[in-house]
Amino acid sequence: MKKLFVLLAFFLIATTLPALAADVSTMSKEELKSRLDSPDLTILDVRSGRDWSASEFKIPGAIRAPGEQLAVWSEHYPKDKPLLLYCA
Amino acid sequence: MKSSLLLSLALGVSWILSPESLVIAGNISGQTGWLTFPSLIGVVILYVLCNQLLRTEGLPPAPGREFLILQHGGGSITATTLCLAACLPLTVLAGTALLVTAGYTLNEVFLYWFPNFGFSFLLLALLTILQLLRKEYGLWLQVCFVGLAMGGLLTLSLFGVFSPDKPASEILRQSTGFSFSSASLLLLLFVGHGSSLEQKARPFPLALTTGFIIFFLWILASLGHVSPEKLATSTIPYMTAARKILGEPGRQLMGVVIIFGTCGALNGLMILTRNIVDTLSREKTVPAFLSSKKQRWVLPFFLSAAIGTCMATGLAGDELLESLLRSALILWLLYYSLLCLSAVYWVQKVSAAIPYLSLFCTLLLIAACITLVVGDPHRLQMSIFIFSVLFAGGLLSTCWYFIMRHHKHAP
Repeated sequence: MKKLFVLLAFFLIATTLPALAADVSTMSKEELKSRLDSPDLTILDVRSGRDWSASEFKIPGAIRAPGEQLAVWSEHYPKDKPLLLYCA
Repeated sequence: MKSSLLLSLALGVSWILSPESLVIAGNISGQTGWLTFPSLIGVVILYVLCNQLLRTEGLPPAPGREFLILQHGGGSITATTLCLAACLPLTVLAGTALLVTAGYTLNEVFLYWFPNFGFSFLLLALLTILQLLRKEYGLWLQVCFVGLAMGGLLTLSLFGVFSPDKPASEILRQSTGFSFSSASLLLLLFVGHGSSLEQKARPFPLALTTGFIIFFLWILASLGHVSPEKLATSTIPYMTAARKILGEPGRQLMGVVIIFGTCGALNGLMILTRNIVDTLSREKTVPAFLSSKKQRWVLPFFLSAAIGTCMATGLAGDELLESLLRSALILWLLYYSLLCLSAVYWVQKVSAAIPYLSLFCTLLLIAACITLVVGDPHRLQMSIFIFSVLFAGGLLSTCWYFIMRHHKHAP
């Protein structure tokens, strides 16, 4: 019974979390390419450490905003304009 | 004779060909321009003089030379602490950093569909299995890793040197002046070159000379194709230069260099650590199960588990890794400096004369260690880490020393 309860709780968490994140919209590669020069779009590279430094692929014009410093940098950007975050 | 020369070279240049060394070389060449060359010559001469000191007649013979020299200078506990502090943190932290870099390289250069972290763990598993096989297999594969990495890097360097984008006069104008801190960083390019000291003494410093030629050509090629500003600030200056030199094939060739350079560096560091721990075990300053016959089933698993834990817990994605890795490299330099200082003390006692040149070289190394810590923006973090490692190593060595003493006196 205890095992069943744990499994049920795990299933609920696993299915609810993506649903909560569904409010955040995503952008396709093609759309991003077409909007790269747009002054309204701010691109944030949220990778940190080796995830950032060892990677060759960095979007031109992207600003570094490591994920663990979210509380610091999130205050600096306007909430009414689109912010594009990428981590891979 | 020839095979032992090859194995000695493969171990001696293992760190020289690592991605980390290529980043340091690229950044420093961007910062100091053509002045990197005289600094590099100075660094190699300094190491050659120090190696000559360590081979002075009257000093203990290999193997175990380093431990005995340190023991003479500061006692068993200090010697054990320094030996452990020089190799263990470096193998674990460099292993973590290099494997992550190799993972990204495979993913971004060769196989987009292959997860980078998956490749890092796969490489770690393969290198661990290699350590479990007979030592000869590890050594011969080390020759293959180093040979492939060196071949790729020399090919790129020669293409870059013979078809420069800029005339030599422009390269000679690119300099912001000499700085001791930049020259000190160049010392970190040759970490572990002395692992060949364990072999028969050679009149010719093979690993150092090979390393010098590699860096000389690669820096010349990089400065001839990439702007110093770009080299100084890039986190992957090797890839930027390779792309500029040969385009997409250059990028792929550098990918091979990075992956095999990582295998060579990590395998070399593991072999170096095993040799050091084996010496300590023979001197009975660490438990007997770490002797060469038994350690095969313990030490590689311990090192791989530590590296795997660092990767799995997200250290690779943390800025902290960079300062910890720099600290681990400085710990090796500190070990080497104190080894030279103990050798100076020994020679002075035997010959009743102070070897002034050797003493000067040793003081330069110690000054470089201090400069590297003090000049770093993360100096507090680094100092805490260095002292913590020395304290932990000292504590373990002291505990084992007293256990062994109690064991000896027990009825």
